[in-house]
Amino acid sequence: MPLATQKPLANGGRAGDAVDRGATPHGGASVGGGSSAGGFDAIVVGAGPAGTSAALGLAQKGAKVLLLERGEYPGAKNMFGGMMAYCPAPEQLVPGFWERAPWERAVTKRVLSIAGRESSTSLVFQARSGSERSSVGAGSSSDRSLTGFTLFRPIFDRWYAEQAVAAGVTLLTSCRAEGLLMRDGAVRGVRIAGGGGTAGGDDVVEAPLVIACDGALSLLAQEAGLHGGFKPDQVALGVRALYLLTEEDINERFGLAGREGATNEFLGCTEGIRGGGFVYTQTETLSIGLVMHLDSLKQKAIPPYELMERFVASTPVAPLLRGARLVEYSAHLLPEAGVRMTPRLSAAGLLVAGDAAGFCYTNGLTQEGMNMAMTSGLLAAKVGAEALAQGDFTAPRLAGYAKEMKRSFVLRDLRTFRRAIDFLHHDRLFEDYPRVVSALMEDVYRSDGRPRTKIARMGLRAVRGVVPIRQLIADAIRVGRAYLW
Amino acid sequence: MVVDEIFELVSYRIHPEPHIRLNQDVCQGCTHRACTFACPARCYTWSEERARVEFAYEACLECGTCLLLCDRGALDWHYPQGGYGVRFRVA
Ligand SMILES: Cc1cc2nc3c(=O)[nH]c(=O)nc-3n(C[C@H](O)[C@H](O)[C@H](O)COP(=O)(O)OP(=O)(O)OC[C@H]3O[C@@H](n4cnc5c(N)ncnc54)[C@H](O)[C@@H]3O)c2cc1C
Ligand code: SF4
Ligand code: SF4
Repeated sequence: MPLATQKPLANGGRAGDAVDRGATPHGGASVGGGSSAGGFDAIVVGAGPAGTSAALGLAQKGAKVLLLERGEYPGAKNMFGGMMAYCPAPEQLVPGFWERAPWERAVTKRVLSIAGRESSTSLVFQARSGSERSSVGAGSSSDRSLTGFTLFRPIFDRWYAEQAVAAGVTLLTSCRAEGLLMRDGAVRGVRIAGGGGTAGGDDVVEAPLVIACDGALSLLAQEAGLHGGFKPDQVALGVRALYLLTEEDINERFGLAGREGATNEFLGCTEGIRGGGFVYTQTETLSIGLVMHLDSLKQKAIPPYELMERFVASTPVAPLLRGARLVEYSAHLLPEAGVRMTPRLSAAGLLVAGDAAGFCYTNGLTQEGMNMAMTSGLLAAKVGAEALAQGDFTAPRLAGYAKEMKRSFVLRDLRTFRRAIDFLHHDRLFEDYPRVVSALMEDVYRSDGRPRTKIARMGLRAVRGVVPIRQLIADAIRVGRAYLW
Repeated sequence: MVVDEIFELVSYRIHPEPHIRLNQDVCQGCTHRACTFACPARCYTWSEERARVEFAYEACLECGTCLLLCDRGALDWHYPQGGYGVRFRVA
């Protein structure tokens, strides 16, 4: 079916229709029998938060946009921890976004746990309590800035893409971009699988602007030469198990009321692999998972599912799962190296946003990616719309996007926390220090009839034999520079 | 273990053609065989008997770990054709 005849997909039709009417896996995405289809101002690859934001932003400026997604529906391939932190970008794209988006719980409680062999130690942050915040989703933005929202990507991404369709975006699902269409040194469209769906792609869709939002593997930007392929020490593998419980059990176990949510990050649960664990609450499910730097995973050679098995059985996690039923397992990569992995962000005819640009990070305390994806998608749309208005898609024109990104919180935060991100690439943090903290806290609370000592001395005892004092001081300074000044 | 139940836990639409192809000859000289323990879906296994790495694509979660960890270029790696492969859902 040639795109030109897919009228209902473009302007308006019912959103659900358009999603369902995407090309079928059988037919592949045919765009007019081996030839090329045109008429689009821009093609956005990937209907994740970055791509949908970019498509929405362009459509609002009157551009004719094609949004390609390889999944059967947007979100089919996507998984995250996860909690979406508040950011203003989606509100600019979808009025009433925070009231309307299909989120699960509004997070009011954040826990950081350091797991040792015999014990674990936690730091709990609790935003203003329960019932006062029961209408959290509808609160003011200052109210929301302390909150985040847990959600399911297959539901959220699909809903968000429907908003784009309602704004006039043409969404084509079950359609994998095979690569870029290059002409005269500029990107002029994408290659997609032909009718038979054979790899290699014998159809092309042309447009003067392509926005690559294809996620953490970033194959399109790599093809365009914007980076040389992300490296194992720049990305992490996340695995997640989803457990079904009741809403009441979750509220009781985490001390929550109504649709309040909690997140719990764990350090020291990865058997020396750089990374951590997480537990996130949805309405009646828990997401339990691990994140592991790929180079460290390779070095330690522990299968992720074995580590997961031990994590769910561990002292702090097992009680949360009593009576819960395992209902899904998933895996996904995430960028982890901050500004060290930021690729060139544009080329003639091409912009890159979201995970594909490495805009995702953790500083050990928070994990952010969705907000960065949406913000970069929005800014890509802004620069793209200006380029469209001027009919100028040259590299210098599109380089304005990098400038916009540098001004936004995305690249600023990645710079602010570059030392924290570097620090999270030290093995000691994941093996030695959790042991030190646990040993110290065990000393603090141990009562065995022997005289106690003050904390500094206990600390020294806990450190001895695990981390050399010189190293400890050097690391303390590193932590200071990473987080404090 | 979760990976033992992967086909009960994860929904797939499996394409008859594999989306990843492994050149087992190239693996012969590999010293780490990272794919065999790092793949979260256990798609790669070392067969003592046949003294080679075996690969099955059906349970693939499309994460890309094997692509990034293989440093010998043994893989011809693609996402599955549009509409195929894993489909995450809510229970
Ligand atoms: C375990 C884990 C936990 C996380 N926790 C959090 C968290 O708590 N908070 C947070 O904010 N972020 C979190 N993240 C990060 C967050 O998920 C990402 O930053 C975010 O999804 C990036 O959005 P994106 O649109 O750039 O990419 P994606 O969401 O990956 O979307 C890319 C889209 O492109 C499609 N696609 C790819 N290639 C093609 C192609 N060739 N043709 C057509 N379509 C294609 C994919 O199917 C997908 O839909 C987490 C990630 C993981 C893995
Ligand atoms: S890492 Fe690459 S070369 Fe080594 S066994 Fe795996 S696929 Fe083969
Ligand atoms: S992409 Fe991920 S799940 Fe698929 S075979 Fe490679 S490592 Fe395994």
